Amino acid sequence: MNFLTPWFLLGAAAIAGPILFHLIRQAVRERLPFSSLMFLRPTPRRVTRRRQLEHLWLLLLRCLGVALLAAAFARPFFNKNSAVPDPATEGRQLILLLDTSASMRRAGVWDQARTVAEKYLAQTGPGDQVAVLAFDRQPRTLFNFAEWAVWAPDQRAALGRQRLAAVSPGWLGTQLGLALTVAAEKFVDDTANGQPVSRREIVLISDLQEGAKLDGLQGHDWPANVHVVLERVDAPVQANAGLEIQNPAGAAASDDALVRARVTNARDSDREQFHLAWRAINGTNIAGTAMDIYLPPGQTRTFSAPALPKGTTTAELLLTGDAVDFDNRSYFSVPAAEHLVIAWFGQDSVNDPMSLRYYMQRVYQDTPGRQVKILSPDAPQGFSPEWLDPAVFAVIPGRLTPEEIAPTRAWLERGKTALFVVTDETAAATLALLTSLPDLKITEATGDYALLGTIDFTHPLFAPFADPRFSDFSHIHFWKHRHLELPSAAQARVLARFDDGSPALAQLPAGKGNLLVLAAGWNPADSQLALSSKFPPLMQTLLEWSGASAPARSQFETGETIPAPASSSNTAVQWAKPDGNTTELAAGVAFSDTDVPGIYTATVGGQQRQFAVNLPLEESRTAPMPSDDLARLGVPLQPVSLLPAAKVQETQRHLQQAELENQQKVWRWLIVGVLVILLAEMLLSGWLARRATAAGVSS
Amino acid sequence: MPDTLPTTPVPPQRRGGIVDTNALMAIRSLELRARVVVEGFWNGLHRSPYHGFSVEFTEYRQYSPGDDTRYLDWRLYARSDRYHLKKFEDETNLRCHLLVDLSRSMSYGTTGHTKADYARTLAATLAWFLNKQGDAVGLFTFDGQVREYLPARHRHGQLRQVMLALDKAADGRETNLGGPLRRVAELVRKRGLLVLISDLLAPVDDLERDLSRLGAGGHEVVVFQVLDPNELAFEFPGARLFEDVESGKEVYLDPAVIRAEYQDRLKSHGRAMESLCQKLGFTYLQLVTYQPLDLALQDFLRSRQRRGKRIRRHGQARA
Repeated sequence: MNFLTPWFLLGAAAIAGPILFHLIRQAVRERLPFSSLMFLRPTPRRVTRRRQLEHLWLLLLRCLGVALLAAAFARPFFNKNSAVPDPATEGRQLILLLDTSASMRRAGVWDQARTVAEKYLAQTGPGDQVAVLAFDRQPRTLFNFAEWAVWAPDQRAALGRQRLAAVSPGWLGTQLGLALTVAAEKFVDDTANGQPVSRREIVLISDLQEGAKLDGLQGHDWPANVHVVLERVDAPVQANAGLEIQNPAGAAASDDALVRARVTNARDSDREQFHLAWRAINGTNIAGTAMDIYLPPGQTRTFSAPALPKGTTTAELLLTGDAVDFDNRSYFSVPAAEHLVIAWFGQDSVNDPMSLRYYMQRVYQDTPGRQVKILSPDAPQGFSPEWLDPAVFAVIPGRLTPEEIAPTRAWLERGKTALFVVTDETAAATLALLTSLPDLKITEATGDYALLGTIDFTHPLFAPFADPRFSDFSHIHFWKHRHLELPSAAQARVLARFDDGSPALAQLPAGKGNLLVLAAGWNPADSQLALSSKFPPLMQTLLEWSGASAPARSQFETGETIPAPASSSNTAVQWAKPDGNTTELAAGVAFSDTDVPGIYTATVGGQQRQFAVNLPLEESRTAPMPSDDLARLGVPLQPVSLLPAAKVQETQRHLQQAELENQQKVWRWLIVGVLVILLAEMLLSGWLARRATAAGVSS
Repeated sequence: MPDTLPTTPVPPQRRGGIVDTNALMAIRSLELRARVVVEGFWNGLHRSPYHGFSVEFTEYRQYSPGDDTRYLDWRLYARSDRYHLKKFEDETNLRCHLLVDLSRSMSYGTTGHTKADYARTLAATLAWFLNKQGDAVGLFTFDGQVREYLPARHRHGQLRQVMLALDKAADGRETNLGGPLRRVAELVRKRGLLVLISDLLAPVDDLERDLSRLGAGGHEVVVFQVLDPNELAFEFPGARLFEDVESGKEVYLDPAVIRAEYQDRLKSHGRAMESLCQKLGFTYLQLVTYQPLDLALQDFLRSRQRRGKRIRRHGQARA
């Protein structure tokens, strides 16, 4: 049995009191009222000491009561199932969570962080279990508990330091919330190993910058007995500002395009005057592109960047004036203007509002990011097999000449897409030749008019219309349409059907390419399709799906994935990183290795696309985050102890003893015992007093 | 009553008493107690040698115009042809005030009743008796100061009021006769009979100063000292703390050691009181609470008679 506050046992010395009182005899204890004492002379009082203790049982009860009371105050507890850990055999579980985000690149910060991490590794005991996680946008394990357990105890710290040495801060943002929750889950996953653990700690070694994202912490269910120790590493220089070029979505490739830069100045910065200037990727300054800006600390503003010289495709915008330069450049890739060539095999006039061409010409108009050229075989040079090569998309209204069929089919089989509009029954012959389906039949539909019945909204063409707000095609009347009888061997996919069940739009494979067959025209004689609000987006989607239109976005953040440039051909995409490394990815696979800021180049089908990858602007908000923010989100913080390790261990031991005592609560039983003894003492002393009185009267 | 009872001395024989004191005190009503004593006493007068004690002839006085003709002695006129008035000793009714001490020391008692109970019963008995004789009876109860005061009257309801005043619970404190007796002297201007019932447990010098005030008023004073038998015997088992009921003072005493000395002191106090009363012309009677009250009444009347004779003799001597 141990005592939590053993000095209270000194109170047991009060046992001397009852013993002393039992040794002293007071001859008279009773008082007798008398009418007057005027005739009475006091008699000397006789107080004698006994040679023998009387009322031994009473004395025993009183001594026992005092002793039990002292023992209760000393708060005893049994140590037989002690949860007090032995540091030699039972240690703590420690996860070092090391920030490797871009903000840790500031001068001196990473060295501090490594020093702190190595200090923790050096302080581990033989019973401790350690894992180290590095994190920026994603946490990654440097070594886990299992590896640590396998290592020889005397080599663990050294091996851990080796793993740490292989890590350095990258260029990614800080997802602190994700890292903390993943680290906490590590404890949960590791509970199965069955080793006794005195406590679990996550040591967060980070600059705890204001811009760190804390998503996922709110309401996170933290495992029991997990504490987070904050080890903040501070940069010696505080003045920091950063910038970000906003994504010029839909920006024109024109030379006078406006580039906007968001500049942020850290809250703890002492600078207000900054300088913006364009610089070529190779590092040479671009003359005449500098401007001064004023930005108070703690603010973020958007500025119009200086105009770039004509013909510039990539450049970097350089911010100067602050003391920290890791986030002072933002790369910019001028969005490439698209030059699309669409082949048109019809004879319609561009100016005839009753023709198909009239509406197509108006749908595919030039935009700031795209220039569309519609070629027709009746152009001066006439049709030739090479005429089709620059085309990215073709529209075939009804029929082709025999000499056009084979080149067109070959063009399709190279991975291109064409839209075949069935204008009458005679189109069947051309379509049969083009698709190699001799059984294909087309008949003119009879009846009043037709509507679109079922539409396959899962197909990429109609997927943008899948939302119920846009999925209503029922108001488009088709005055004329044709029954398209597709043989089963066609492997066709019907994307839309008329209400009479015949296909309205079907996709027929043609080699690597696709042929879309529309069973009615959009000219007013055939339908209201061209007059419908669905027509422009449908045709734009058709163009993009065919691979003719590239993604417009050219600015990305580090860690983001860059979608593969769209292409109807299935050729691989060659990706080149800023550091010169190249990677080949299959068509359609997004590029995710954007760990370094710079200009990334994607090459597909001989065409190059350039993307700028930059640091997230949040990384530039380097002012320290108040630790209260974490506490407010429910992170179980534990202050860093300034006490020596031995003292901490002693305090910990004492706390665990207090917890053990609190569980057992032996003192309650002792107090109950004291009360029982007091009751017995009262009864016994009362009985003795009555007996003594009776004896006195009888004498 | 104390928790630890002293060994009560066995009361002596009633010495001719009619009513047993303990039986009398068992009667709850004070009025009834007085009535029992007085009527028993009245009946016993047949064998009493004392009679003719009421209205008594003293002298003749020559008639002068304006005197009440009812008191003319016609026989003497027949014999001497002169008008004389008969003059009686008690031509007017007696005015008696009972002064009852109800201080805390009077609450002591070991015979089943306290000295205060005994004093109340004695006062009630005297009041009943005097009222039955047609005398005016008044009452003072006091401890450190006068608590109740009823002027002496003989009218219907006066006896009832006296009984009620005596019956009131008194929570008196220490005995201090000086204040109350000075107040009595101020309130009772007309000479009369004052009956003081107290334990007189106070220094004799103080009592002399206080009692002399009553004597200075020309009153006839009868002093009853009421004592508990255990106050006389002082027999207690073993040494213990004695607490003065008035002052609360505690003294450790071994009764066996100081009993003789105590009794000597008490007796000398009694003797001093007796000689003091004699000096002041008062009648001093010591009563122990087991004594029958009819005998106390008898002693009272006897002392009255002796005083009457003494006054007569004194008057004849002066004449």
